[in-house]
Amino acid sequence: MTGCDHDVCITCGDVGVEMRVVRLDGDLAVCEAADGDVRAVEVALVDGVAEGETLLVHADVALVRL
Amino acid sequence: MKFVDEFRDGELGRAVAAQILGAVEPGRHYKLMEVCGGHTHSIYRYGVDDLLPDNVELVHGPGCPVCVIPMGRVDDGIAIAREEGVIFTCFGDMLRVPGSNGTLLDAKAEGADVRMVYSPLDALRIARAEPEREVVFFAIGFETTAPSTALTLKRARAEGLGNFSCMCNHVTIVPPLRALLDSPDLRLDGFIGPGHVSTVVGARPFEFIPADYGRPVVIAGFEPLDLLQAIHMILVQLREGRREVENQYTRVVPYDGNPAALRAMAEVFALRPHFEWRGLGFISQSALRLSDAYADLDAERRFSVPGVRVADPKACQCGEVLKGVIKPWECKVFGTACTPEHAIGTCMVSPEGACAAYYNYGRFARDRVVA
Repeated sequence: MTGCDHDVCITCGDVGVEMRVVRLDGDLAVCEAADGDVRAVEVALVDGVAEGETLLVHADVALVRL
Repeated sequence: MKFVDEFRDGELGRAVAAQILGAVEPGRHYKLMEVCGGHTHSIYRYGVDDLLPDNVELVHGPGCPVCVIPMGRVDDGIAIAREEGVIFTCFGDMLRVPGSNGTLLDAKAEGADVRMVYSPLDALRIARAEPEREVVFFAIGFETTAPSTALTLKRARAEGLGNFSCMCNHVTIVPPLRALLDSPDLRLDGFIGPGHVSTVVGARPFEFIPADYGRPVVIAGFEPLDLLQAIHMILVQLREGRREVENQYTRVVPYDGNPAALRAMAEVFALRPHFEWRGLGFISQSALRLSDAYADLDAERRFSVPGVRVADPKACQCGEVLKGVIKPWECKVFGTACTPEHAIGTCMVSPEGACAAYYNYGRFARDRVVA
């Protein structure tokens, strides 16, 4: 066992995770996935992220706003 | 869920499948390559290939970064992990990738401090929490993961974290595609372009495929309807004599990608002159190292690594699978000596690997003659 419960390998970003921005926290944003997973996400690569928006996140970095 | 349910609608799927049937020319065989391992996984998870006519064949490309990592790089990682005082961090699937003398998981069992992380930022947190230890992150992935590593290294630099470093194995998508197109082994009619890699690099880097090789490319999403629509778009291009890059995944992929991510990568990384890809050999300018400005955070400079090229196990045919020359079940050890629980080849390790996708979704028995 690897301890990785993801259905798809997170090593390759081609299955990103859609996450909703719960609140902004400095350079990071606290985001929640549909399965309830909550992560601190780097949002430096997407301009003007706001609470309530949905982001495509890979490896804790938001790549695009959905 | 938004962008999910509507792209898994069975009725719509059957309608697009009928359109695909109408778009193929009878008597012509089509070989389309899905570049990305995420696509391979989705195709077999949802049975997309079962909806295609017999003369439309999907060939699985080299787009799973775990699958293309050569054994020598795993050995180098294990050598660093065994260094006194090192905490070696990597993604979960890397733990099980075999090197020439075991896996990172074996090294952990033997006493090395190897920890699974979900992102490089997790590794950075460990470095902050344990300043007396050297924390190394094993970076792997295409252009989707590289921005995460780049931002983490910029943070490490800004915070002055002297105990953090990175062993960089990031690869780039375009050079292996060119190598495949130059390969005499393979005749491909079109490409399903990678979805999330393109959120970073955009669609423009794929323009050489229609321009130089006369093959259509359609960038696609990961839901079953995304894939069916992309296949239809490729077939329509072929029927109409068009050869261009189209973007099926416009809800996510901007044509020019993410300029901020590309700038971060350009600052932190530089192209390696060449890099070994499992099954494909050495490909020029196909991988990233840390730039000179970030050389002090390069684990390969901080620690000694063997740097030895290791031949793949003779029984394993990952190379042929990665080039699409054989199907996974045609490998001699597929599903017998090589399974996800005990992988010999890398394609069986990651769920995105073609062999694991076939095995996990019950397609391992296909075309086998029953006595």
